[in-house]
Amino acid sequence: MGTLIRFVVFFAIAMIVIVLAIILGDYGAWYFAWVLGTVMIVLVSAAGGALLDTQESEKTEEDGAR
Amino acid sequence: MEIYLLLKVLWWLLLGVLLMGVAIMVGMDMGVGTILRLVGRTDAERRVALNIIGPHWDGNQVWFILGGGAIFAAWPLIYATAFSGLYVVMLLLLWSMIVRPLGFEYRSKIDLPAWRSAWDWALFVSGFVPMLVFGAAVGNMLQGVPFRFEWNLASVYSGSFLSLLNPFAILCGLLAVSLSVYMGGAMLMNRGEDVLYRRAQRLVVRSGLVALALFSLGGIWVYFLDGYQLVQSPDPAIAQTPLQQVVERAVGGWLGNYQRTPLLWLIPFSVYATTLLGVAAARSGRSHLAWWLGALAWIGVIGTVGAAMFPFMMPSSLEPSHSLTVWNASSSQLTLTWMTGWSVVFVPLILWYTSWCFWVMRGKVNERDVASDEHAY
Amino acid sequence: MIDPLVVELSRWQFAATALFHFLFVPLTLGLTFIVAAMETVYVTTGRTIYREMAQFWGKLLLINFALGVATGLTMEFQFGTNWSFYSSFVGDIFGAPLAVEGLMAFFMESTFIGLMVFGWERLSKIQHLIVTYLVALGSNLSALWILVANGFMQAPEGAVFNPLTMRMELASFAELIFGHDAQSKFVHTSIAGYVTAAIFVCGVSAFYMLRKQHMELARRSFRMAALFGVLSAVGVITLGDALGFVGGHAQPTKLAAMEALWRTEKPPVGFNVIAIPDQQKMENAYELQIPYLLTPLVTRSLDHVIPGADTLVAQAKQRIVSGIEAVGALRALQDNPEDEAALSRFLAHEDDLGYGFLVGAYAPDQDPTVADDAAIERAARDAIPSVATIFWSFRVMVACGLLMLMFFILAVIYTLRNTVERQRWFLGASVLMLPVPWIACEAGWLVAEIGRQPWTVYEVLPTWMSVSTHSAGYMLFSLAGFLLLYSIFIVIEMFLMLRAIRQGPSSHRPTGSAGAAGETALAAPVRSAEV
Repeated sequence: MGTLIRFVVFFAIAMIVIVLAIILGDYGAWYFAWVLGTVMIVLVSAAGGALLDTQESEKTEEDGAR
Repeated sequence: MEIYLLLKVLWWLLLGVLLMGVAIMVGMDMGVGTILRLVGRTDAERRVALNIIGPHWDGNQVWFILGGGAIFAAWPLIYATAFSGLYVVMLLLLWSMIVRPLGFEYRSKIDLPAWRSAWDWALFVSGFVPMLVFGAAVGNMLQGVPFRFEWNLASVYSGSFLSLLNPFAILCGLLAVSLSVYMGGAMLMNRGEDVLYRRAQRLVVRSGLVALALFSLGGIWVYFLDGYQLVQSPDPAIAQTPLQQVVERAVGGWLGNYQRTPLLWLIPFSVYATTLLGVAAARSGRSHLAWWLGALAWIGVIGTVGAAMFPFMMPSSLEPSHSLTVWNASSSQLTLTWMTGWSVVFVPLILWYTSWCFWVMRGKVNERDVASDEHAY
Repeated sequence: MIDPLVVELSRWQFAATALFHFLFVPLTLGLTFIVAAMETVYVTTGRTIYREMAQFWGKLLLINFALGVATGLTMEFQFGTNWSFYSSFVGDIFGAPLAVEGLMAFFMESTFIGLMVFGWERLSKIQHLIVTYLVALGSNLSALWILVANGFMQAPEGAVFNPLTMRMELASFAELIFGHDAQSKFVHTSIAGYVTAAIFVCGVSAFYMLRKQHMELARRSFRMAALFGVLSAVGVITLGDALGFVGGHAQPTKLAAMEALWRTEKPPVGFNVIAIPDQQKMENAYELQIPYLLTPLVTRSLDHVIPGADTLVAQAKQRIVSGIEAVGALRALQDNPEDEAALSRFLAHEDDLGYGFLVGAYAPDQDPTVADDAAIERAARDAIPSVATIFWSFRVMVACGLLMLMFFILAVIYTLRNTVERQRWFLGASVLMLPVPWIACEAGWLVAEIGRQPWTVYEVLPTWMSVSTHSAGYMLFSLAGFLLLYSIFIVIEMFLMLRAIRQGPSSHRPTGSAGAAGETALAAPVRSAEV
């Protein structure tokens, strides 16, 4: 059930972001947006990978403590 | 408006530089493809040969693609007329060339003799055919191509594609093939060892001498060939179309520039000097020197043709007055200015990082390295 | 005389080779950045699993890249071989971005991809990372310049017609680069590539998780690709809308076709969710509408009028009549450049020159100046491109885009909770998602390029005039050759790609000794060049 709620919330956030971006820029400075966006996408993705390793090691510690 | 005149000449020179880049760098890789089955008798030997140019062939190939783009930007009428007028020949060139990236990337993915042998043949075809066509295309430019323009500058062609592969064009094609074999062999000497080195050395010496013989024969042939002369044309410094000039044909006409400016004879002589010295350098084992002398020989060969034809770029054998020249085939002054700006910034950059790339990958390649390196071709 | 069959075959050849090329481009655009992100984690954390990931996905990238390069080679020359009038007519503007692409982007990408593959042992970690980023940047800058060129075809900005040289000439390089169509289309396309690559990595990783192979690599790759993908999917939808807005204003005929809008109606008009367009009768045989939605969607207002096909055809008719004058005056100018009367007549009708050319297809001897009313009527009807194709391609693309956004949101939820490997239905769905981005990319190409018809350069140069004057026999020969060659290529590529995926990263390990049952244990220290 939690998954469904989260999905709905995330989807709503995504839609709001899209609508906001659309309102902000019809004839936008898209090249500039691309540069920023690509950097952000790469960094978030890299951080996500690193986070997985952190979660992993925490889990091992918990298991070890138990 | 004199600036426009200078820009046209500058871009004619830059086109020459690009063709030299294609001939030297792409020609080298294609030469390796052509002689792959001769220098490498075993699969391991062939893999060494491929991995010698492995890190560079892709970057080198961009000379060819950039050549297409630069002709499009600076000489749109040449781009439009030459590539459509030589349609079937261009298809031969493209179809054989597009097999090459796959030959490099896919050949060593599967360890089956039949698979690898098939790709070896593919690499041979994609090395030999494009260089033959490259030379034959230049040969056709010297003879003139059968096209004319309509009132709106739409081009119309006559004649079949077989006439594009005539004896003189084939001679020019073989000259290009032999020089590419020379350069490919010299590169294999630079980074190869033992048998590979010795076989490459033999091929460099032979192909250098063959190239010289073909170059001499071609020169004599051009003496008896119809050349083209501008009789009347608008001021070179203004914008114009090929419909506004008068051109005549004359036997031996391509030697006119040499007669008017005897200093130009230095260019064809330089081909003899560099090729002979290059062959000598290869024999004495100085392969890097042989490579650079080979590059100079290419510059000499292309320079010889350019000096003979100037200001013609693509004469028409069907309607000589519609011939494309440096004065009437270029793009506008603004485009040429912008293109000059981009080139000033990026060409030095390209030369710098290409050299760095060669420097990083310097040193000999041997069978053990190739077998143990999981990234190798 | 231009044979209509040659025009048709030239279009098929260009479409076939471009669509084929575009199977490989999007994956390259995105996967280079995903690999760069993986290598970034390797360099910052020093964990060798990320190096293994970068190398494994890099290997798949290379298989794809080879065909992208090979098929791109023919594209660079096809304008000259098959569209020679187009090339000489707009080469002054159109050629420049292609040349700059070579200078700025393609050289960088191709030179450094050699180092990226062969340089692992020869470069320092940081150097290799920079090289990887340069490959990613180079491939996307390549796309930038190609789409700047394409933007000119869609909305010709920064150029003027020169009656003396009979061609379009560059007027402003800045307008060419910063055209609205070029800007939004580049970002839309580039990020569509990111989405494609993210789906690819997720799908292949899910395949491994289903088979419980290479779990360490698969879980990390899935996590990174899901985050990469969710942001990209938001971006691609935003930019898709921006592109629709820009394109709707610059190309009203494309907009009318995308929305199957036959009649100009009082705003706000409804949005056709489903329609069965009938091009002959200029109406929809069936339509399912959401009332009032379309006007705010494409004009951001409630009272802007969106011109329907009927208005556009009527406008085209007027412009053709005016364009015929322009062609006549131009011809007189060619005979006598000093003819003042002809010059002023030309300048008065200059803007409609393209419409004058358009009617030539139906005029006797293809001479627009002698076109009759029937020819004008037919040419004006041609101004509306094939509505059914565009309407449905557009909907397929949008549906795929939304589907992928939903997929990525779920993927992010599961992967952040670290439970994705237990959701077996979802892993199966991930594998099934694999073809979706490619369908979206190809459909998007169809909308953009069929929607531009009947023009090669919108309202400037009609498609029928743009071709080279080859015989139909030559065209059949070349089309058959391309189809044969490309069919062989795709079979080999798919075979090698599937084989490399099945083999997995184990065969890729530098030590050469595959771990037990092909499992790559994270704990096992992988040889690193730096130690």
